[in-house]
Amino acid sequence: MIEVESLTKRYGSTLAVDDLSFAVAPGTVTGFLGPNGAGKSTTLRALLGLVHPTSGRTTVLGLPYAELAGVAHRVGAVLETFDAHPGRSGRNHLRVLATAAGIATSRVDELLELVELTGAARRRAKGYSLGMRQRLGLAAALLGDPEVLVLDEPANGLDPQGIRWLRDLLRSLAAEGRTVLLSSHVLAEIAQTVDEVVIIHRGRLVRQATMAEVEAMAAGEARVRTPEPARLAEALACSGVLSHAIGDGALGVAAAPERVGEVASANGIVLHELTTARATLEEVFLSLTDPDAGEGSSE
Amino acid sequence: MTALVAAELLKFRTTRTAIGVLLAALGLVAVAAAGTVGTAEDNALGTSQLTQDTVSSALFASLVAFIVGILSVTVEWRHGTVTRTFLVTPRRVRILLAKEIWIAIFSAALALLGLLLVLAIAVPWLELRGSSLVLDRDAASLAGRTVLATMLWGALGVGVGAVVQSQTPALVGAILWILLAEVLIGALLGLVDLEGVADYLPGRALSAFDGTIEDEGGLTRAVAGVVGLAWVVGLGALGWLRMSRQDVT
Repeated sequence: MIEVESLTKRYGSTLAVDDLSFAVAPGTVTGFLGPNGAGKSTTLRALLGLVHPTSGRTTVLGLPYAELAGVAHRVGAVLETFDAHPGRSGRNHLRVLATAAGIATSRVDELLELVELTGAARRRAKGYSLGMRQRLGLAAALLGDPEVLVLDEPANGLDPQGIRWLRDLLRSLAAEGRTVLLSSHVLAEIAQTVDEVVIIHRGRLVRQATMAEVEAMAAGEARVRTPEPARLAEALACSGVLSHAIGDGALGVAAAPERVGEVASANGIVLHELTTARATLEEVFLSLTDPDAGEGSSE
Repeated sequence: MTALVAAELLKFRTTRTAIGVLLAALGLVAVAAAGTVGTAEDNALGTSQLTQDTVSSALFASLVAFIVGILSVTVEWRHGTVTRTFLVTPRRVRILLAKEIWIAIFSAALALLGLLLVLAIAVPWLELRGSSLVLDRDAASLAGRTVLATMLWGALGVGVGAVVQSQTPALVGAILWILLAEVLIGALLGLVDLEGVADYLPGRALSAFDGTIEDEGGLTRAVAGVVGLAWVVGLGALGWLRMSRQDVT
C-alpha cells in the first residue's frame, strides 16, 4: 500500500508538487502519469525518502520510507538516474547493495540471470547500454524480493522484447499481491500494463481511475464508418443526433450504436463499422493535461 | 552496522581506486623510509632519533587515508551512487557512521602496512651498514600514535567529504587548508599574540599528536589527540546535518 497525503514540495519559488493525495492498493499495477515537469519524479522521490516534503506526508506499507525495517525486502525502486559506479561491474554493484541489505550473493546471480545480464555481469557499468542499465536498475530493485515496487520510467532504453518482458514481470508481481507504481511516457505501453492510473498535472492530481473507467470516459458515444459520412451526418442531424467527423470516413456520434444503426437503415446508408467508442489512455491523458485547459480538476 | 561496513569495504575493493591508493601510500612510505635510512650520517646510526625519523615515514599513510576518507563520501555524489545508497539505507546517519568505522579500520590497516614496510626496508638496510633500529618504548609509542593519527586523519576526511560533498573542491580545499590556510591563520594570529590558538586547528592538532610538528609551547600530545578527535566528531556532525536535510534530486 502506498499513500500520498497532501504532499507539497517547493524548491525555492517553484512549486513542484501541490497538495497531492492518492493511494495505491496492493495487487495492482498503477501508472503514474503526467507531462514533463508535472512533479512525478519529485513525488516518487518523496515517497522513497530522497526528497523532504515541504508539507504533507508519504507512506509505504503504512510507514514513512525511512522508518521501514529491512527496507530492501519491503520496497524496490528504479529511478531515472543511473546509480551504479561506472568503474564497478554490474555484478559488483549488486553485491555492494546485497551486502548492505544483508542479502546473499546467490540472489545477485539469480537476478542477473532474470534480467539477462549474466553475460555482461563482470563488465564495468560504464560500458553498459541504456537498456542494460535499466535491467541492472531493475535487478537492484528486485534484490530483496520486495512487496512494493516504485519504478520511474523503467522501460526507457528497453527493446520491444524487453518491454514485453517487463510488462509480464510487473503483471506477475502484481498477481502475487505486490504493489507496483510506475511512471512512464509511453502511454500505449502503460495502457497494456496497468490496472489503474494516477494522472497529475502541474503538481496536482487531475484524475485517479481504473483503466475500465478511463475507457468508459467516452461511453455513450458510437463510432461509425461509412462510405457516405456526409449523408449519414445529415440523416442523424434530422433525427436530432449530433455527430462529428473523426477521420477516415468515420463519425463520432452522441448516441448509442443501436440508434445509429436504425437511422442508417431507415435511410439506406451502408455501414462498414459500428462500435461503442472507447477512449484511449492517450486521449484521456491529453484532454486532462491540455496546457490550454488551465488547472485540471481535482477529484 | 556490520553489513554496512562490509558494503563500504566492498565498494572500495571493487573499483580501481583501491590499487592506486595502496600503491600511492606504500610508495610514499617506501620513498620516505629509504630516504631517511639512505641519507643517515654514520654518527646517527643506532640512535633513537634515527629510529624515530625512520618510523615516522609511515605517517605518509595518513595523507592517503585522509584522501581516501574524502573520496569515500564525495564519490557517491560524483557518480550518483548516493541515490541507491540512500534507498538501501534510508537512515543516513548510519551511512556516515559506517563510512567512519570503515575508514578507521582501513586507516589502521594502512598504517600497520606502512610500519611493516618501513621495517622491511630499514632493518636489512641498516644491517648492511652494521647497525639496527632502536625498538624501544619511544619507538613503540610513535608506532602506536602513527596508527591512531592515521585513523583520525581518515575519519577527518570522511567529515570533510560529508560537509563539502563535491569531489574536486573537497580535495583541493582540504589540501590547501592543511598546507596553506592553517599556516596563514597561524601567522595572522601571531600578529595579535594569539598564535597558540592556531594549535587548535585540525591539521596542526593532528600533526602535534603524531609528532610531525614539535612545538615546545604547543599542545601536549594527549590534548592534541583530543582536539583532533573533536574535529573528527564536529565535522562528522556537520556532515550528518547536511546529509540528513538534503534532497537527492
